Formats: sequence, structure tokens, C-alpha cells
Amino acid sequence: MIEVSGVTKLYGGRAAVDGVTFSVGKGEILGFLGPNGAGKTTTMRILTGFVPPTSGSAKVAGFDVQESPIEVKRRIGYLPEHPPLYREMLVRPFLEFVATIRGVPRRQIREKVARAIERCGLAPVAGRLIGLLSKGFQQRVGLAQAILHEPDVLILDEPTVGLDPSQIREIRQLIKTFAGNHTVILSTHILAEVTMTCDRVLIINDGKIAAEDTLEGLAARGERTRRIALRLARGGDGVEAQIRSIQGVLSVQRDDGKDWGFTVETDGARDLREEIAARAVAAGWGLLELRPITLTLEDIFIRIIRGEAA
Amino acid sequence: MRNVYAIAWREVRTYFTSPLAYVVIGVFLALSGYIFWASLVRFSQLCLRYGNSPYIFQQLNVNDLVIRPLFGSMGIIFLLMIPAITMRLLADERRSGTAELLFTCPVTSGQVVMGKFLGAAALVAVMLSVTLSYPVLILGTGAHPDMKPTLAGYFGVLLMGLTFLSIGLLISSLTENQIIAAVGAFGVLLLLWIVNWAAESAPPTLAVVLNKLSIIEHFQDFRKGVLDTEHLVFYLSAIFISLFLTQRVVESQRWR
Repeated sequence: MIEVSGVTKLYGGRAAVDGVTFSVGKGEILGFLGPNGAGKTTTMRILTGFVPPTSGSAKVAGFDVQESPIEVKRRIGYLPEHPPLYREMLVRPFLEFVATIRGVPRRQIREKVARAIERCGLAPVAGRLIGLLSKGFQQRVGLAQAILHEPDVLILDEPTVGLDPSQIREIRQLIKTFAGNHTVILSTHILAEVTMTCDRVLIINDGKIAAEDTLEGLAARGERTRRIALRLARGGDGVEAQIRSIQGVLSVQRDDGKDWGFTVETDGARDLREEIAARAVAAGWGLLELRPITLTLEDIFIRIIRGEAA
Repeated sequence: MRNVYAIAWREVRTYFTSPLAYVVIGVFLALSGYIFWASLVRFSQLCLRYGNSPYIFQQLNVNDLVIRPLFGSMGIIFLLMIPAITMRLLADERRSGTAELLFTCPVTSGQVVMGKFLGAAALVAVMLSVTLSYPVLILGTGAHPDMKPTLAGYFGVLLMGLTFLSIGLLISSLTENQIIAAVGAFGVLLLLWIVNWAAESAPPTLAVVLNKLSIIEHFQDFRKGVLDTEHLVFYLSAIFISLFLTQRVVESQRWR
């Protein structure tokens, strides 16, 4: 549905996006992850035809954004970082206006606007002035204008920014309902968002793609070695040496603070918890806790951004 | 065409849901109404004073003494007010981020510019059409103004207003700051208004150019009720050039 190849965008000699290549299939939800200023917004603006790329090409539904921008724009719904709202308009007339310029046939406007209002939970504020709405409702109006013409491709730039937790959950639910029929690209710097909504993640840093993988794939990246947290009631001086002697254990570290807490790093191929437990019981250390430490997406993200991983 | 209409209609709606339209129209009507009233009173006093001397009385003409000055003052009010109408048209669109909406919708930059222009033109047309009541009011005084030159004058004021609008729109496309857009538009319009002041002391060829460039020069015949295609062509081409340049500016901004 979306094909981006070798897209570069220079702003005054500095590359905001540098040779980015990726593709998104129909019905897929792609998460765009990266620190602020990484080039997420610029990439999205290129895809929507708002800014032209310096070099490279981007295609949406087979149409090149440079050669047939109108065809591309017909097929996308776009929510920019700051929702583009006419503050001095009422919600419903605003949505009707957007429907018109998005090319919704005149007879369907009323129906599609009503549906978008319902889906985004805007019914209580449909007759109010946009400028007077709370941030959460404004964000929803922004989302409503992006989805109301039921586009093939939905591009959302940080859709949950500035919302309260319950609103965030609602918006995520809403985005999930688009999976399958619509292709969605959403950018965020909140990792939980990606975990909850996306099929595939694209980590972008400094204008370049740092990683592109499924969530499982990303999680597996951290697992070439495993780490285990171990806590004992009564240790002894020989504990570290004894555990290290188990085959597959790479290192043992005494934790600070806790009396007999250790972090055991082992070969990623095998789970050594059973053997460690057996050893602890046999030695009478009083096993209190034995827990695998999984890398959170957060850790993986930071590793990738720093260029450590993979 | 549907897009142009939608953008223009949104613009008109915004004018009338905000206080802007009412303030602009109200001030325009108050000023032009006062000027109209003052010249009408003066005209009736002149009529009374010279009622006994048929020769002078013959010279007194409601078109010359009331309507023609009215058009002149409307021109000046436009000069002051139209920058206030045009300043937000494109500048605000960029500042508030709604440009990102417009230019990611399947509309061309030409349609956006045209829609903006027609929306503002509608406001000016409404404003002007309310003052059509003035000549009608004169009929109630017993004087009989000649309606054809009056309509020609209205046509001229409208054309001049639209030219001002297109130039203001062009300036508005160049900046994100509304104040700069307003001041810039006012400066350019005033310069075009007085550009022929230097004509008298300039070499003949330059003098012709300066005279032909002056926005107000082309208005004089309309005021007198004369329709000359030269002036019509001047205004229409000024509008066309301004709108064309605006479209180019808007298009070029995407590349920055």
C-alpha cells in the first residue's frame, strides 16, 4: 500500500530524513518510533504530499506522491502533530467542510460526518466552537477529520499526545478498529502505544531507519543472553563461585542493597533456572526468588537508538 | 470548482461567525454613511441658497456633489480596511497549522488561492451592496440622481476593492505574521495609490508608466460614470497577476 524508497529530505543542508526505505502492506498498522526530531514528522509529511522529498520516491496505493499528488491525497487521512483546526468554527460545520474538500460526494457528507462524530465520541460537542473545546476533544476532532472519508491509508502523527489515560485508551481502541481495512501509520515516542496497537515497528533515529521489525522480533533481539534475578535468604561466600560453575552461566553479579541478591547472566539458548534452583536447594541457601529479567521495549529502544543492539 | 466554492464558503462562514464581518461592515457603513449624510446636507443647503439664481441652480447636480465624492471616500476607506480583511487569509492558515490540512487534501494551491479570494470578495460585495441604499435614499429627498453613472461608479469601487483584496492576499501569502501582512498590504496599496505623484516631475515616458500604474487614476472615469475598457483591463489584469503570484508563492513555500 505504501512504498517509500530512498527518501531524503534536506532542510538547509541538514538531512531531516536520510535515505529512508520501507513499505507497508494493506491492513497493517505500522508504528513509527523515534526520539523527538528523528524525522518522523518529516517522513509523514512527505507521504502526505505536504512537503516534497529532496530525493527518492514515495508511493501510496501505486501513485507517486510527486507525480500524482491529488490521487495520493484522495486516499489518505492525515492527523498532523498539531491538529489542524479552525478554532472559530463549530465542530460539525468544520467536519462538513473537510468532507467536501476531501472529495466526499455531496449526498454522503451528512452520513459520513455523523459516523465520524459517533466513532470519535464527539456527539456532546458537535455544536460547539472548536476553539473552546478541551485538548482531548480537539484531538478527537482532529482524528475525526482524518477518518471521516474512510481513507485507505491513515497517517497519524502522535495521535494520543496531550490526552488523559482514559482518552488514550479510547483512541487506541479506535485506531485498532481500523486494522484490516485500512493501512495505518502512526508515530509516537510512547513505547506502550506501539506495544498495544501496532503490528510492526520502525525505529527511526537521526533521519535513518535504525530498526524495522515485528514486536516479537524486537523483543527477541534482547535475548541473545538471558538475565535472571536470584534472591537467597542465607547465602555464603561461595555462592557466586558455585553458580558460576553451572554450565552456561556467563557471569554472576551481587546486587547492591539487597542482602543476598544476584543477577545471573546466562547463555540465551537455555533456561538455567531449574539448575540454579536445584543448586540453591541442595546448598540450603533458602531460595526466595528466581525471576527472569526480560528486556522491556524501552530497553531495546534505547539500545537501538544508541546503536548498541543487533 | 466544488473545492473553490467550499473554501470560499468556509471563509464567508468564518467572517460571519466571528465578530470580524460585523465590525468591518459596521465601521464601513458608519464612515460612508456619515460622509454621505454630510454631503447630502451640504447639497441641500446649496440648493436652498442658490434657489433664486437659476444659472447656478442649474449647475447643482446630485451625482456630482453627493455620489461622486461618496465613491472617492469609499476608495479611501477600502484602502484602510482591506488590509485588515486580507491579513489573516493565508498568514493565519500557515500560523495555525491548518495549511497542513488544506495542502494534504485533494485540492490544488490554485483552488485554495481562488477560494480565499472569492470568500473575501463576498464580504466586500456584501459590504458594498448595503450602501446601494444610499442612492435610493436620495430619491426620497426629491432629487433624482442619474442611476446609470451611479451603477458604473459602484462597479468601479467593487473592481478597485477586488484589486486591493488580491494584492492583500499576495502579501498575506508571504508571511505568517498577520500584523506584517496588514502593514505590508497597506504600504503597497498606498504606494500604488500615490505612485503618480512623481509623474509631473518625471521624464515623459516614465510619467506615463507611473500614471498608468496608479490604482486611483483608473478609478476616476468610473466615478464620473464612464466605463472605459482600459480601466477594466487594468483592474482585471492586476487581480489576475496578484492571484497568479500568490499561487506561485504558496506553491514555492512547500519546497522550503
